[in-house]
Parts: sequence; structure tokens; C-alpha cells
Amino acid sequence: MARLIRTEKEVEGRYEEVWLLVEEDSLDQWPAGPLAVVGRPSERVDGRARARGEAVFTADVRLPGLLQAAVLRSPFARARLRRLDLDAARAAPGVRAVVGPGELDVLTRDCGYEGAPVAAVCAETHEQARRALALARPEWQELEPLLDPDEAVRRGELHGRREYERGDLEQGLADADAVVEATYRTQTVLHNALETHQSVCRWIGESLEVFISTQYVWGVRDEVAQAFGLPADRVRVVCEYMGGGFGAKNGAGDYTLVAAELARRAGRPVRCALTRREENLCAGNRNATIQRLVAGARADGALTALGGEFVNAVGFSGWSAMTEGPMQMLYACPNVRTTTFGARLNLPPMKAFRAPGFVEGTFGLECLLDELAARLDLDPLELRRRNHTAVDPRDERSYSSKHLAECYRRAERHWQRRHDVRARSTATVKRGVGMASQVWFGGGGPPSYAWVRVGADGRATVVTATQDIGTGIKTTLAQIAAEELGFPLERVSVVLGDTARGPYSTLSAGSSTTPSMGPATRSAAAEAKRQILDLAAQRYGEALRIENGELVAADGTRRPLDGLLELLGEGQILGTGARGPNPTGLEVLTFGVQLAEVAVDVETGEVCVERVAAIHDVGRVVNPLGASSQVEGGIIQGLGHTLSEQRLLDPATGRVLTRTLDAYKLPTIADVPEIVCELIDQPDAQLTNLGSKGLGEPPIVPVAAAIANAIRDATGAEVRELPITREEMLRALAAARERERRGAPAAV
Amino acid sequence: MELLRPSSLAEAGEGLFLHGGTEVVPLLRDGILRADRLVDVRGIVPAGVRGSVIGAGTSLAELESASGIPDALREACRLAASPQLRNMGSIGGNLLQSTRCWYWRLRYPCRLHGGDRCHARDGEHREHAIFANDFCASAHPSDVAAALVALGARLRTTRRELAVEELYRLPDEADRRTTTLEPGELILELELPPVEASVYLKAMDRRRWSFPQVGVAAARTADGATRLALAGVAPIPWPIGGPAELDAATPLPRTAWKVAVARTLVRRAAAAVAA
Repeated sequence: MARLIRTEKEVEGRYEEVWLLVEEDSLDQWPAGPLAVVGRPSERVDGRARARGEAVFTADVRLPGLLQAAVLRSPFARARLRRLDLDAARAAPGVRAVVGPGELDVLTRDCGYEGAPVAAVCAETHEQARRALALARPEWQELEPLLDPDEAVRRGELHGRREYERGDLEQGLADADAVVEATYRTQTVLHNALETHQSVCRWIGESLEVFISTQYVWGVRDEVAQAFGLPADRVRVVCEYMGGGFGAKNGAGDYTLVAAELARRAGRPVRCALTRREENLCAGNRNATIQRLVAGARADGALTALGGEFVNAVGFSGWSAMTEGPMQMLYACPNVRTTTFGARLNLPPMKAFRAPGFVEGTFGLECLLDELAARLDLDPLELRRRNHTAVDPRDERSYSSKHLAECYRRAERHWQRRHDVRARSTATVKRGVGMASQVWFGGGGPPSYAWVRVGADGRATVVTATQDIGTGIKTTLAQIAAEELGFPLERVSVVLGDTARGPYSTLSAGSSTTPSMGPATRSAAAEAKRQILDLAAQRYGEALRIENGELVAADGTRRPLDGLLELLGEGQILGTGARGPNPTGLEVLTFGVQLAEVAVDVETGEVCVERVAAIHDVGRVVNPLGASSQVEGGIIQGLGHTLSEQRLLDPATGRVLTRTLDAYKLPTIADVPEIVCELIDQPDAQLTNLGSKGLGEPPIVPVAAAIANAIRDATGAEVRELPITREEMLRALAAARERERRGAPAAV
Repeated sequence: MELLRPSSLAEAGEGLFLHGGTEVVPLLRDGILRADRLVDVRGIVPAGVRGSVIGAGTSLAELESASGIPDALREACRLAASPQLRNMGSIGGNLLQSTRCWYWRLRYPCRLHGGDRCHARDGEHREHAIFANDFCASAHPSDVAAALVALGARLRTTRRELAVEELYRLPDEADRRTTTLEPGELILELELPPVEASVYLKAMDRRRWSFPQVGVAAARTADGATRLALAGVAPIPWPIGGPAELDAATPLPRTAWKVAVARTLVRRAAAAVAA
């Protein structure tokens, strides 16, 4: 039975107190370990459709009469539009509708970043739309942009400021036997999903259909409905297949509102798709950070103080992510003080990017810990063990489950390799091993719902309006339903990605889809199974259970399930399920550790990551194959963040210089190291009927720090700035040599 | 826009020449090149390898696997671009690539576009030149060109024969072009004189599909001399007489690191081709 509770809801480190409708979750968890279907590796249920090109992505949606939109954007970081000739655009060949500044909330004359949308047209072809915009001849008044994050802090141009303190930082530093201080900088990186941000909008009478590449079909529905003053159910949002989001596609986006408005004006469906150049300009980013950190510890390694001033270079809009989170949450340190500024700059807006804040903050904190280990002459793994915390150090709350100590134990084997790895160094190529710990959220939560439908054909269909953003949730849900029903996996289908044909699901962000939708799906499958077994008892006059698609009696007699289900005729069994509440008063977090092995050419500054071992604690693993694919993806994305990716700006004007994939350097397959993935796979006994946490984000969190620490282990050089280009690597090597020359021992 | 596919030079007429299209098409799309008529020259320019003569229409992919190709050229091809691009791109077109300077690609009114300043010099220039960078700090992106300069290759065009380094010129106030190719002139063939040994070493910011940060080609000739040429360090492919010439580099504040990388690669390349 549903009830309303007042509770704290967390999304990617942002908490809010909300009223929440929850339903009871009365199922006992399955035993740990591989079951019939759950816990066993499964190929993607839609893998063949994807490989054959049958999967329909938003980019594949071709509606009759479809028009193409193009958007006029600010060419300056800060500017005011003086003049615009939209009539000239309207009169251009092929143009069917035009929308200008002030006619839609997201279109403006006062532009606070390069790429800010000003006006848009739709035409028969994208080329015609672009030509029409050129005819509008905008005239601009260019204004002085604010580009320096520290200057923004000084001027109070902020997206908020946060203070946090426990204990007494100064006292903690006074009590320390060793204190290390360092400034770390991380760069702006881009999501660059294979499928650019895009929508196709079509009005049908007073209703609107939105086909969109999104991580949250329901959120888009509500946003678009509000923008157009429609009841929410008049908006249908569809995202059947998606070519990547990584946090940048949590909302409707200006392109969707532009497409919807142009479609309304033209009376025809409209696509608004960002080009790759627009994607690199203004589709969201992981913002740069500056982290001024200090740590103190006693000679035995016990942390006495952690302090940090964090500046998030947020951009014109966006939010100030929890870069200070790892410093507050990872270790048992009594004295912690953090100050966080979100600098408001004339730069393209940030958007969530795979563990926003924690990726950046973990780089700073975990590099600082290794500098401390070097100062204390302690083993870095041992230092982390000694500061392990059994309760959340922020509020002494217990964890729903935590197996970080077990992660450290399993890390031992990979950590021991460092002696052999170092021994393979040559005069010019130095090798080493580094590690870093990970903490992140990933507990999911209510509300989230699923239905399970079983028909006379003997098949089960999971129906839910969640979205598979490429993580493989479709397969995960099929496995969970199959396990609960006792069906073979191939008898279960999953229908998702359409607000008009399934119940609400959470957004696919914050590593929350599996821990939210998994339990809801199991609960729906259990309800369907109960109905099947009721019918079986009526038909056969005895209590039965289902195993691998067969009805099994107490004496072991087996009957085909089909024999029973055929009797349904046109009737259907419908099970509904909901995600139950999170455990009261417990912190639900994910943990892990990664170890990187690197080779550094000390003459050319080339860094080659040769091996990464990833050990994560995310509760029960439903699909080990899908999970290892998430881990590999996270590590590869983290590798780009660490070594090669960087959005570059013209320093004088703040305009973006890296707009194509030859200039913005994602890792290639040749850059990918050997990746060893180990998951603890212990169900979280306190968390839902499934015991699973999310895995989308944890694998990217410790990558940069583990690599930077491996570089220190290999060379003694302290890299404190991402990306670790040859320029940065050669600078750090020269600084280490200089330190050695002056007599201070290198940090190895 | 009109596309012609002539089968002889006489039919070609006026227009913008196009071979693999991997450079020309993006430049057209970005509005840097403009043309009413494209002339697909694949029916005119010879392709394939005959002994020491290479048709200018030969793809980079073919040169990776053809027999008798000196190591420097083979490596320069192998380490260039991606397999898809190497399948399309011709060696003649590769020699005529424009710089990757972001200011130039984004159509800033820089000197190469006829303007009066180099935006990179006081802007973002970490990938830019360390030699001849006073007027324009762009870096030449062709691995293959550096290899061919070191190998002492000669070119035959529709109008003349020349050494490959004569194809290039530094831009100046009066003339902003970086090649000496005249309008309507087509590169037809390359000829490689014999060398005893050759090598191409390339520093990239990832392991594949990256233009050279610094590329170093070295070739040892029968008389024992070593010829060196660098990619990614000047507005045009840059021959140097020996490692000492790196002392004359004029790096910008953020390109000093390139000198260190070049020094190492030159030493390694020279050692690799030493008898």
C-alpha cells in the first residue's frame, strides 16, 4: 500500500527534503551469488538489433514532412544583440518557420556565453536553415567577458558558496607530525556522446510528441509541458535507443523547446539536432576546478586534518558540483573544513558529467594522500587502510553496507606487482604503480515502477517507461524478471523509453537506474508469478513452483508452463511493482579502489597506461558482463580525462577553440590499457529486495588519481594538473630533478 | 556546386581539385575553401607504386603495405590519421594539407587568411611552431611531407619537376601561401632516390589518429650523410642540418616543451639510421 513520507532525496550529491510516495517492499532478498539468470553474464538483449542497424535512435526518426532546424548562436562569450533581420531569414528558400529572441524563454538578446541560442529557423533541409540564418545578419555589441574563476570569486559572481566544518582544522594541523599542501587543477572536458543532443517534435492536435536522446523521459515531459502550458499527459516523450548521455542529457534542453515551438509554428514535425561543432561548443561540460588542499597526519598515518578551498569554474549556468565530497566522506578524519565556490563565468554551461565533482575532488584528495604517504614514508595502501572509516564521518551514520576494506584486501595482489613493474624500468622509460580509492552515491530510490505482463504465448513482457542510455538496463531488467518468474531469459522482453506506454521511472543519472528499476521490476514479476501460481493451484489442485519455464510440484512432477498459460486465451496476467523506500537512517554509498600501472618516457613526456585493476563494491551484480563493460567504459573515459582531453579557449575572448574531434582528443582503442575488473558482488542486505547499487559512475571516479600516483611512483614527479600532457609531464619531471638537485629527496 | 570527373587533363578545366576529399570537403563545409566547380582528379592523377616512382594518387593505406617503400615513408603513413582516412587520402593531397591551427580553422582573420596578426602567438598556441614562427606560428601537419623531405624525394607536376622542399614556402606579408603550387597545377608523381636506412618517429597526444606534436624523419644516404626533417614544428615541413640547429629554435611560451621532445626524437632518429 502506498504512503507519503518526508525524506531526504539524493541525486549526484545534491540532497533535498521532499514528500515522497513510497510503496512497501515485502520480498526477501535472493541469496548472494549467481542464481539461475541473475548474477550470470548475459549478452545485451538488444545487441543484435544494435549491431544490425535495426535500433532506432533519435537520429533515425524520420517522420513524414520532417523539417530541419538550425540555431543562431552568440559568436561571443558576452554580447548583446543589437539588430537581427528575421524577415530576411523568413523569406529565404525552404524556410517554414522562424522564432526569435524573446519569443521563447531560451532565446535571448543578452548572451552570457559563446553558443547561447538567439534565434532559430526550420526549413526543408538543414542547409537551407543554415543559409537562412546567415541572411539575418546579426549585429552585436561585444562586451568584456569574465573568464577567470578566482576573479569571479573575488567579485562575488557565484553559483553559490558552501562551507563545511567538523572538528577544528587548525588544531588538527597543529596536532600533525606531517603537513602537506598542494594546489590541483582539473580542466574542462566534454561529454561528446556519439549521438549529439537532439529532438524531433510533432504536434498532434493539442498534444505534443517528443522524440529525444535523453536520460529522463519523464523530466523532459514535465519541462516541455510547463514551457508550453500543457497538462503533462498531453506530452509524450520517446527514447527507445540512445547514443550516450553521460549526464549531459538529463533535461529537455533549449534544442527541444526550439523544435517544439518551430513545429507548432510550421504545423509540421521539426528536428533540432546539434552538429558536432555545436556539441563541442555548448552541449554541457565537466567544468574546470581549482583545489587548494592541505592534509595533516600523525607519524603513524592517522589523519588529523583535511582542508580545502574548491573553486568550480561552473560557466554561465549549471550548478556547483560537490568537488569537496571525497574530502568529507572518504576517510575517518576528525578535523575537516571545506569551502566551495561556484564561479559564474561567461563560458558555456556545465552539465552533470559522470560523477560530477567527485571525479575532480578524488583527483585532488587522492594525489594529496600519496604526497602525504611519501612525506611519512608510509605505504600508500597502508595509509588508506589506517584511515578507513566504519561509519559516515560526516554524521556518524552507519552505512547500509560497505566493503571497502575487502576492496583493499583484494587490491593487495595488484599492489604487490609494483616491485616487478618498477623493475621493468629502463634508462628512459620508468614504470610504476599507483592507487586511489573511490566513494560515490548510487543507491537509487523511489518512486519507480514496472509492470509485468504474461500472456497465452508463454512470454513475459516488462513494461516501464525508463530509458536505456546505453548501460544495458534493458538486459538487466529482463534478467531480474526472468529470475523471479522462473522463466528462461529468452522468454522475457522489455519495453521501455515511452511515457505513453509504461509507468514512471527515475532519471538515469547518479548511478540510480539499476537500484531503482531493478527492485520495481522484481516486485512486478513477483506479483505476476503469484497470479500464475494461483491459477496453477486452481488448475492442478496442488501448490506448485516455477523453474526454468516449467511448473514443478512438491513431489518433483514437472508440467510445461505453456499448458497452463494457453488457458489464458486473450486474458493476461498483469503484475505491477514499485521501488520501495531506502533504509531509514543509513547512508547508501558505493566504494572501490583502482590500481594503475604506467610507463613514462622521461625524455619525451609520453605517458602510457599499461594496466588498470578496478575493484568496486556496488552490492549485487545482476549482469557481470554488462558490469565489466561499464567498468571498462568508465576507465577509458577517465583515461581521456587524465591524459588527452581538454576544451581549450582563446584566453582573450573566451571563445572555444577545440570544436572537432581531431582537436578535442578522446582516447582511441590503441590507448586502452589492459583492464582487470573485480566486483565484490555482495548484496546490500539493507537495500531493497535486490541489494544492488549503481555502477555507472564509480569506475571513472579514481582513474585520474590512480594514474597520477603511478606516475609519481615511476618517476618521483608530482603532476598536479589535468590533463597530464607531455608539456605537464616534462614540467613535473624538471621540477622533480630540480628538487633532487637542491638536496630535497624526491618523493619516491 | 558542380562536380566534374574528367578522364584527362585537357578536360579538367578550371575548378577546385579534389582527390580523397578528406581535407577539401571539411574546408568547403567550414567555408574556408569556396568553389563553384569541383574537379575530381582521380581519373587524371596516376596511382600506384612502380619501383621508385609513386603516383600522387596512391592512398596512404596502400603505401603502408606496398613493397619497397622506405621505412620513414611507411611509418609516416602508418602513423597518420585513422584507417578510414588513410584509405581515402592520397599522398599528393597529403602534401597539400593545411595547418590544424585552430585560429585558422575557425576563420579568425589571421595572417594566413590575409589579416594583420597571428592570433596564436599571444593566444592559445601549445600545439604551434618552434621555428619560423614570427609571422605565423602555425604548424605544418603532414607526417608524410617530413618523411619525403628527409628521403630527398622529387615531385613531377603538370608543369615542372622540383625537390619536395621546393613545394613549400614560408608565408610573408606579400604572399600568404605556404606552397609554390600554381593555380591549375597538379602533382602527378613522386620519385624517391635510394637511401640506406630511414626512420620516422612521431610524438602524439594519444597513441593513434593525431597530428604530430613533433615528427622527426631521418634518412641515411649511400655517401653516409644523414638528412633530417621535422613535422609539426614550423608553418612548413622543416629540414634541419643536425641536432645543433634545435638550439636556434624560437619557441613561444607554451611550445618550449616541443623543443625538448624534438631534441630527443632527433637523437633517437639519428641513432636509428646510423650505420
